[in-house]
Amino acid sequence: MRRLHLVAAGAAVLLAGAAQAEEIRIGVLYPIAGTGAVYGEPAMHGHNMAVDELNAAGGILGKKIVSFARDTKLKPAAASAAAKELITKDGVDVLVGGLSSAVGLAISEVARQEGVVYVATIPKTIKLTTEKRHDHVFRTASHTDFEGDAMGQIVAKLGLKKICDIQLDYAYGHDLAAGIEKGLKRHAPDAEKVLDLRVKLGATDYNAFISQIMGAGCDGVTSGLWGSHFVNFAQQGSPFGLFQQIKYISGGEIASHEIAGKMKGDYPDNVWSNTYELWYHHHDPSHVAFQEALAERSGTGETAMWPVLAYIGVKFIAAAAEKAGSVDADELAAALKGMSISTPVGPRTIDPETHQADTGQFWGPMVKKEGAEYRVMDPVTFIPAVIAE
Amino acid sequence: MDSIIQFVQQDLGNPGLAALLSNPSFAFIQLMNSFSQAMNLFIIAAGLSLIFGVLRVINFAHGAFYMFGAYIVYSVAQEWTGNFWLGVFAAGLGLAVVAVVIERGLFQYIYDKEHLMQLLLTFAVVLILSDVAKIIWGTDQYSVSYPASMKGAVDLGVTVYPTYRLFLIVVGPAIAIGLWLFTERTRFGRLTRAATQDREMLSALGVNVPMIYTGVFILGSVLAGIGGGLAAPFNSPTPGMDATIIVDCFVIVIVGGLGSIWGSFIGAIIYGLVFNYGSVIVPNWQDVFPFLILLAVLLVRPWGLFGKPEGGNA
Repeated sequence: MRRLHLVAAGAAVLLAGAAQAEEIRIGVLYPIAGTGAVYGEPAMHGHNMAVDELNAAGGILGKKIVSFARDTKLKPAAASAAAKELITKDGVDVLVGGLSSAVGLAISEVARQEGVVYVATIPKTIKLTTEKRHDHVFRTASHTDFEGDAMGQIVAKLGLKKICDIQLDYAYGHDLAAGIEKGLKRHAPDAEKVLDLRVKLGATDYNAFISQIMGAGCDGVTSGLWGSHFVNFAQQGSPFGLFQQIKYISGGEIASHEIAGKMKGDYPDNVWSNTYELWYHHHDPSHVAFQEALAERSGTGETAMWPVLAYIGVKFIAAAAEKAGSVDADELAAALKGMSISTPVGPRTIDPETHQADTGQFWGPMVKKEGAEYRVMDPVTFIPAVIAE
Repeated sequence: MDSIIQFVQQDLGNPGLAALLSNPSFAFIQLMNSFSQAMNLFIIAAGLSLIFGVLRVINFAHGAFYMFGAYIVYSVAQEWTGNFWLGVFAAGLGLAVVAVVIERGLFQYIYDKEHLMQLLLTFAVVLILSDVAKIIWGTDQYSVSYPASMKGAVDLGVTVYPTYRLFLIVVGPAIAIGLWLFTERTRFGRLTRAATQDREMLSALGVNVPMIYTGVFILGSVLAGIGGGLAAPFNSPTPGMDATIIVDCFVIVIVGGLGSIWGSFIGAIIYGLVFNYGSVIVPNWQDVFPFLILLAVLLVRPWGLFGKPEGGNA
């Protein structure tokens, strides 16, 4: 019996080896189950959509693309183990994905050790493309300096003078706080930071922080509380009248429709925030077709923001592989440097020096719209990924 | 006083403590925040403690019951009827049904097994329920509106405070007193206390002990459901919320003493005070403090502030 198993296993390995030459293997790392699935699931929609489109058009270099998706569980250790397994067990040619800055840094470290290209589609910590950058890591997401700079511009535009900052206590929150600091200096030099608050990742009770903000006398709050962190913060702050007292300028993409569409009438006043994509806003003509295809796949016309990020990551890999004529890590990395593609949210170019794509975001106030039960961003302003020195 | 505040602000470099000392209404708000958070946690922790007190099972799935309560409120109040209170009622009712199924179907077979077996089984239930929740409600983060009558805030003279939070501060002690009256003054309550003392003797006297167990398990689970339902307006129903709450509840019931209602009550208040003042005075250590208290209690009084030392009546 045991021998039979060994033979079967051996045959499987041989078969896998034979198949590998005929296909391009992409290792996909998103939080597919558990808490993070709220982001991982839509991200997988975008990923699969890009892969299906490419395969329908003949794959990459004439080879079929096969995805090997692993759950990162939103945990750096799990992501790191999954990335290693993808490389050693599944023999993937390239890694894509990552959700949460800490997870992105963990995957990037594996990519560095194993010499495999990693395209980071969602993590925004600036460190990924500065002090932790290596030959094989590229980022198609925005980053905390772009985000902080845009927030500085909005603070200046609204003429806010006293700023309270509340951030999640991990890589993303710390780096965004630093990005905002720089953005304020550049655009709103007379705005003064009066309060710095740090909240545990996954925190559910914000009352102690809300009363501190309200007592500090600030006219603006800058923040990066994302997802359910923001929902809870808003639900707990609203009865205090917090959002009548301050303007809330937030990174963390809380202007995305998955937040606004779910909070509906509970979404607070005076929020200015960002998103990578809005199903109701066609910045680029190709967005219309993208949105229709995504709507079909998601089963709703009011689609989430995450798919486009995963989608763009795959498209960059495909374009680079075609240009390099190979999926060899070094050749792929060389092709990704300076690579330009057009995406449903406009053209994107990866900087050859920093390995960072010029991923701008849509920013604006979240307003009530007549006839809709949820809030929408209006007016939508595209703030490009440019930091004027 | 001013010199003290200045000393704290400048020499200690602690703006949070200085704000508490110089601004009485801020200090008062934190007190109210402590109580309202504590009362919500108490409702849930009391259920966990009650179940342990009688059934001697540490139910890890209690957090999942809380999560189900929050989700049910979302479905009933937000999606179907628009009536929050109906949602909370449905959450209690729904958890009663879940409790019957789980107690009769699974837990009744493990009461005489060792603790490790019990933990493994309840943990399996946690995993199953979190997947069931995902199948029913998906992975979105939902938002539940406050009941229309409690959307705003009340002027307390010193400060305004959200009505709904005040409601929690009232409802917590009411539930504590209700539970106390129930266990001390009713026949069923007396029988449950007897069951914790000597279940064989009780059974020999002709009392249907399994029924008592089922009843207590239902009551404890309903408390988790209602607790989750009441938390839903400020705690967005979302996957993973079960894991956060169960840790808080364990801290509370262990500090207060497993099996003691008033222990859970005091434990919850201690937790609320430590969390809310801690996050102002020592923001970087806010997560550590509840566990330091847990540690201190375990070292000095391992059976908790209101618990009884183990042994003798097991």
